[in-house]
Amino acid sequence: MNDDCLKLTAYFGERQRVDGRFFAEALLNLYAEREVAASVMLRGIASFGARKELRSDEWLSLSEDPPVAVAAVDARAKMAGLVEDVIELTPLGLVTVERARLVSGDVTKFAVPEQLSEAAKLTVYVGRQERVDGVPAYIAICDLLYRERISGASVFLGVDGTARGQRHRARFFGRNVDVPMMIISVGGGEHIARVVPRLGEMLRQPLLTIERIRVCKRDGELLAHPDVLPMTDEQGRPLWQKLMVYTSETALHNGAPIHRALVRQLRTSGAASGATVLRGIWGFHGGRKPHGDKLIQLSRQVPVTTIIVDRPDRIARSFELIDELTSEHGLVTSEMVPAVVLIDGDDRIGGTGLAEYRY
Amino acid sequence: MIIAVWAGVVLLGGAGAVLRFLIDRAIAHRVARPFPFGTLTVNLSGAVLLGLLAGLTLSYHVSLLAGTAFVGSYTTFSTWMLETQRLAEERQLWLAAANIVVSVILGVAAAMAGQWIAGQL
Repeated sequence: MNDDCLKLTAYFGERQRVDGRFFAEALLNLYAEREVAASVMLRGIASFGARKELRSDEWLSLSEDPPVAVAAVDARAKMAGLVEDVIELTPLGLVTVERARLVSGDVTKFAVPEQLSEAAKLTVYVGRQERVDGVPAYIAICDLLYRERISGASVFLGVDGTARGQRHRARFFGRNVDVPMMIISVGGGEHIARVVPRLGEMLRQPLLTIERIRVCKRDGELLAHPDVLPMTDEQGRPLWQKLMVYTSETALHNGAPIHRALVRQLRTSGAASGATVLRGIWGFHGGRKPHGDKLIQLSRQVPVTTIIVDRPDRIARSFELIDELTSEHGLVTSEMVPAVVLIDGDDRIGGTGLAEYRY
Repeated sequence: MIIAVWAGVVLLGGAGAVLRFLIDRAIAHRVARPFPFGTLTVNLSGAVLLGLLAGLTLSYHVSLLAGTAFVGSYTTFSTWMLETQRLAEERQLWLAAANIVVSVILGVAAAMAGQWIAGQL
């Protein structure tokens, strides 16, 4: 277990190119070259950014340039050296740096740190075809999380990434055995502490991260507002916050899917400077058993996650809107993000210095 | 002559597809609603145009170029179907049904209008 890790996440549009190749490709090449412990590229279904450009798979001509999120985790020393390179490479997008605990190797003796006693986000990285007792690993993991009364989990299919420093990229023809998948789950600290050693017994080479979060809403019930943070820390470094809204693709609010209504309203009202929606393939929340698509169906049964990263004042405004739209369904969490850089060509907003703030 | 016509089919077919993409995308950026207005606009304007072309007495080659090649690639059945299915996927069943019904009713009306305009010329 390494307590001192950094998670670097880049959000951008997939069609962007640098030096004649796709930016996503260049970024993953960089991660492979530096042998990053865990990284995964996820393709989203809707987003907008600082330029207010809408990306969506609802219309064929808009889905030609889908949003992408690439997360990478490793020891602080390695990631700190990568941050500037990633920002330098990014033509247009958002880069966030977060503190995380990376757990790998023998995790059968795991005690949850005191700081995480409130609630925590557990992210597990597994290969697409990895199996546990003949069952796909992601299904076995979701069953375990569900049994251990974790509030919710969503499984996202990566299209590219690294695991323990090795590049694994999805190909059209191929079994894609080790292409990474990301399983994000949210639960009480003590529940997460019980789950981690069990994951260690289940998986050949467990690779997971744990981050501190706050659960704001569950199944329409308001539990807590996001922490009220100052705009900067004592050294004047800007503070940022992230909201994650976990809903089902078919959960509606006033006849529209919640994630679509969220993107539309956050964009037109100007409450948020950006949002990205990722669609999972399997998962659960709100007490329902883990589920995904069936072979014959009209509507899809998969989880979606809407991610919003912004300054504390704007997060408070976005939360009001989210609170309204998730009056019946959804799990909403908030967390602090110590460094964010918004990149638009040569323009940069924010910085890479990690803000320090105890709350 | 035959080669020139087929080259024309290739060029006009390509131009129709590009025009559809540009119009659909421009509408998508402006409207930003779940209902696929872009595809509807393209299909309806294409139906008017094809009705008009059918109403005019054109030579075989000209109608091949303007009708089959240009309007054929400008309008799109597959996108209409895909976007309807995507609406249904997210339980937007009323919008999915409306997308089919509205497109069919207005589409037939648009083709008739095109032919009527041709008759007035």
